[in-house]
Amino acid sequence: MVVGLLTVTSAGTVPADVVAQDRCLECHGSRSVISSGKGFLYIDAVKFGETAHSRIGCSSCHDSVTAGHPRDGVRPSRASCKECHAPVVKEYQAGIHAEKAICSDCHNPHTARPAEVVSGTDMNIQCARCHENARTIRSHSGWLPQAELHITALPCITCHTGSENYVINLYIQAHRRDKPHHGYTPATFDELARLAPAGVPVTRVIDTNGDGRVSLEELRAFHRGAANKGMRLWGMMMPEKITHTYQILKNRWDCTFCHASGPKALQTSYVAIPDREGRSIRLPVDKGAVLDLLYGTPDFYMMGSSRSSLLSIIGLVIVACGAMVPLFHGTLRFLTRKNRKETHHGAA
Amino acid sequence: MARHEKIYLNPTPVRIWHWLNALGIITLTLTGIQIRWPEFLNFFGTYKAAVSLHNTAGIVVSISYLLWIAYYIFVTGSLLKIYVPTVDELKYGLFRQAIFYFFFYFFGKPNPHSPTPENKFNPLQKVTYLMIMLLLLPLVIATGLLIMNIGPLREAIITMGGLKLLDGAHYLIACCFTAFLFIHVYLATLGHTPFAHTKSMWTGWEEGEEK
Repeated sequence: MVVGLLTVTSAGTVPADVVAQDRCLECHGSRSVISSGKGFLYIDAVKFGETAHSRIGCSSCHDSVTAGHPRDGVRPSRASCKECHAPVVKEYQAGIHAEKAICSDCHNPHTARPAEVVSGTDMNIQCARCHENARTIRSHSGWLPQAELHITALPCITCHTGSENYVINLYIQAHRRDKPHHGYTPATFDELARLAPAGVPVTRVIDTNGDGRVSLEELRAFHRGAANKGMRLWGMMMPEKITHTYQILKNRWDCTFCHASGPKALQTSYVAIPDREGRSIRLPVDKGAVLDLLYGTPDFYMMGSSRSSLLSIIGLVIVACGAMVPLFHGTLRFLTRKNRKETHHGAA
Repeated sequence: MARHEKIYLNPTPVRIWHWLNALGIITLTLTGIQIRWPEFLNFFGTYKAAVSLHNTAGIVVSISYLLWIAYYIFVTGSLLKIYVPTVDELKYGLFRQAIFYFFFYFFGKPNPHSPTPENKFNPLQKVTYLMIMLLLLPLVIATGLLIMNIGPLREAIITMGGLKLLDGAHYLIACCFTAFLFIHVYLATLGHTPFAHTKSMWTGWEEGEEK
């Protein structure tokens, strides 16, 4: 397997294993596998093709496939994750999650995608397979104010892995008028594709000039246009560096950790847009977008940290004006005190 | 020399409300400062403590506001009379009172308004308190309640323009209250002694000037 991977990365050639995987998928990629009652052997060729594993081929992990497979009944071997991902496995085993789940409980090697292309919502769906959402909200409500809001706006790994720095991922949500309470849920590729001009990538719904970045002006234009189409931007705070160091960190019990991190901690943001295959395409946004009063997203707000400087200044000017009245009036009052001997003046 | 007669200007429910509200507003101001600038200021130990205290004080102020408005509408029936200025007061009284405070006061001229239990506020006070009690306070309470319940009220928040707008409005109104607090406390010292009005709000009795 290592040899196969090296062949891909260093020489750029396609290893024999990859050619062979087409043969594997002739059977394992056919839906007839599911109807035969062995759905666990089915491999979605499209999803598999998106994984890094597809680049090294089936036999890199299943290297004991016999010539008589599958008629001989010999089950092919399976490589352990550790063989290639030793540092990640070591990191994971040092955390509290290692006792509860093995790699494949969370990551299907035939559909696994890099963390950067998985949305925070999808990450939480994965966690919710074991940590049922309602129970998670209940267990956090005992100490975490607005627990549901936190759990919606943060993937679990934001608090339960050791990353010290964060980025904001903005997702486009669509208004579901057909649902009870008119909820907003992530917009699908098809919904966004309908908004983009014909024949251009779906990312152009927000990156209108197609330069691969989202400027503040493009964000503002999106807010103006998309709101009429029932679309909104919703922000999630993601770890800057995704790790497998699952733990319950003492400093996360203290709201100060995030809420007193200041606006500097919220400078970096991305807009994540789903592509046709369900991946999440991340487009970098101009620095400070979530803090901008006029151009940033109207919905991402983290008390204490995502405050607008402009608004802070306006507020302080209002307070200063109030404080000036006693100062000036009091000074004149003191200077003219002899004029008031017997008269009384009222009112607060 | 003018003699002073005592008038019962501030009934007990109003005085209780006033001091409870004062405590609430000061708590909200201090906790609000920490909530907005937590990396620079820490009055209450932790961020969570500041938020919890802010929420509690907000609820206390909201309930006391409801009691205040119920008292003036249903018990005394004098809300409009005390707080809504007449056309004459708007046309002439406002200007006369402003000129007094910013000009004639310094020359020792008498206050054009003498408080009575039925008409205890001058036109400037009426307009100010009308704005504060019937516009800004309900608005700051409403925005605060929405921010306290973002999850269940998200749809309403989005309809109103989003969380950032809501928070901005809450913050700016709070700044108006803080600005008013400086003016209010200062004007309270303009009685015949610096603490005459404060004493009146504590005992209920105001020393009026007999003409």
